Amino acid sequence: MENENQLLDINHLHTGFRIKDDFYDAVDDVSISLEKNEILAIVGESGCGKSTLATTIMGLHDPNKTKVAGEVIYQDLNLVDLNEELYNKIRGNDIGMIFQDPLSALNPLMRIQDQIAESLIFHTKLSKEKRYERVLELLEQVGIPNPPRVAKQYPHELSGGMRQRVMIAIALSCKPPIIIADEPTTALDVTIQAQILDLLKELQEENGTGIILITHDLGVVAEMADRVAVMYAGQVVEEAEVGELFNNPKHPYTRSLLNSIPQMDSENDELHVIDGVVPSLVKLPRKGCRFAARIPWIAAEEHEENPVMHEVAPNHFVRCTCYKNFHFEEGGE
Amino acid sequence: MASNPNVEDVIEETELDSSSSNPPLGFKVIAREFLKDKVALTALIVLVILLLTVFIGAMFIDQKEVMRVSLLNKFAPPSSEFLLGADSGGRSILGQLFLGARNSIMIGFSITVITSFVGVTLGLIAGYFGGVIDNIIMRIVDFVMILPTYMMIIVLITIVPSFTVFTFILIMSLFMWAAKTRLVRSRALSESRRDYVSASKTMGTNNFVIMFREVLPNISSIIIVNMTLNFAANIGIETGLTFLGFGLPASTPSLGTLVNYARSPEVLSARPWIWVPASLLILVLMLCINYVGQALRRAADAKQRLG
Ligand SMILES: Nc1ncnc2c1ncn2[C@@H]1O[C@H](COP(=O)(O)OP(=O)(O)OP(=O)(O)O)[C@@H](O)[C@H]1O
Ligand SMILES: [Mg+2]
Repeated sequence: MENENQLLDINHLHTGFRIKDDFYDAVDDVSISLEKNEILAIVGESGCGKSTLATTIMGLHDPNKTKVAGEVIYQDLNLVDLNEELYNKIRGNDIGMIFQDPLSALNPLMRIQDQIAESLIFHTKLSKEKRYERVLELLEQVGIPNPPRVAKQYPHELSGGMRQRVMIAIALSCKPPIIIADEPTTALDVTIQAQILDLLKELQEENGTGIILITHDLGVVAEMADRVAVMYAGQVVEEAEVGELFNNPKHPYTRSLLNSIPQMDSENDELHVIDGVVPSLVKLPRKGCRFAARIPWIAAEEHEENPVMHEVAPNHFVRCTCYKNFHFEEGGE
Repeated sequence: MASNPNVEDVIEETELDSSSSNPPLGFKVIAREFLKDKVALTALIVLVILLLTVFIGAMFIDQKEVMRVSLLNKFAPPSSEFLLGADSGGRSILGQLFLGARNSIMIGFSITVITSFVGVTLGLIAGYFGGVIDNIIMRIVDFVMILPTYMMIIVLITIVPSFTVFTFILIMSLFMWAAKTRLVRSRALSESRRDYVSASKTMGTNNFVIMFREVLPNISSIIIVNMTLNFAANIGIETGLTFLGFGLPASTPSLGTLVNYARSPEVLSARPWIWVPASLLILVLMLCINYVGQALRRAADAKQRLG
């Protein structure tokens, strides 16, 4: 391995869903990597394939309906080729996942303690009493008041924030080196959001975990992430350290995203919106720059025919050449 | 965004105190539902008393003794010797009622258990895995479902030589598992796509554990309700077939054989003691089981609960 600190190395990953009789890639040639002790944020609009990327890493796709190709290298193993049995050894133990909606991700008929203990049963040889101790310890760790009582409760008896804390406790239970958090705070209100994010960051620093944080909230990114990958229509269009990305955004999509955040000090109080939406999988143009359709005022020659990643600064990559002469639409701002 | 963690904690603490830990479905919930619904409670009590009487009573009755023909007592009206009179063979109606009710209930129960076991297993597998497995199982189910069930049962019953309660149960089950499989499969299909199943997978839990320990309990309420109502239906089917003369042989009493006597117009109008008790028993059994089933259904669905 080239890099000691590398936890996960994703190369040319494709995930295609079967629609009618063809497979359409929702994740299209994604290559990113995650290092120890790092929070990698993945941002992008709804439908750009963020969740699909996460579930592909976790191997949650039904092989009848999806086609996965490429590499997800973890400890010299390509997870994409693993069978269920081997995958089950890794899931939970080496990679944990936090879901967006904690209510639907918790089993309504199981007590909290049993759900947290689930990973422990499969991955550790702890005795029943030891497992229970660990469950209480985890609940304490994620800041839940009165752990012995909550351990005996059912998900519907907890508040949203507490449920998400339980989800985090579940993901943490076997101290996995990698955690994937798919929009962990979208279902929560703002104050709870901040608490949960603080908790994640704290736990991450404590354990040296690598976190892939999926979000569409650039505020969260600025606060939490070390590195950012911006996704558009299944592809990574820009990747950089967080400071670099915010100070020196290149790709038109990144710039439009940053531009659409409401600014306190801006003179005009009109919000910038990016016209159009992410095209659906079936209608997605597979050739040329995928963002071209949403910036029609940029001449076609500015785009590359087959856009590739360009290193514009050390560790700062941008797809396509259209960033060079990009400007916002006249009169738009 | 001024968050005050102390206030949060206080809120969460009070929230905790107000709720004692209630499982979404469990014995307590069901008990509360029955206590709230007087009709269901009465039905349950009547049902338990009926079942106990029938089963305990039947233990003290010798089938050979009851079924012995004695022409002297032909169509004896109710008297101290024959509390409910006797049939054309001079056999005690009361004795037959006990044995018949026991047989009918046992048959209905066995069919329900067998078909549920097969249906739940196959339905879960089909719904959970989907794809090819689902296709294979559901095509077999489709095939069984389009067969004209009653005709097939009648044909089989006619051609099977030594016909007993046991073969009757098997033949019925052969056709009745398909509907169960379809029901369980459709529920398992939607339940298996829920996030908590994915979440469980991300913990490294294997498929069979998820299927039986997580998906099954979440669809168990619908299965229990269906089993209860099915139990009533299966008793009905048995008595129906026997009434038509395609069920149990005359030497094995069942509720159906008793009602069957009413096919003769003379018995129907002049000797009601032969068929009325059995018919009433069927009616009461069905009603009770259905009321209990309704209460269970409500208990299973938090939105419909009364208590
Ligand atoms: N099971 C599926 N079958 C077919 N298409 C799917 C499936 N799951 C997702 N898609 C499609 O794949 C694309 C990416 O979906 P995905 O859920 O990964 O988006 P996302 O970036 O997570 O969006 P959001 O921010 O709304 O969660 C979408 O166009 C979606 O319609
Ligand atoms: Mg998503």
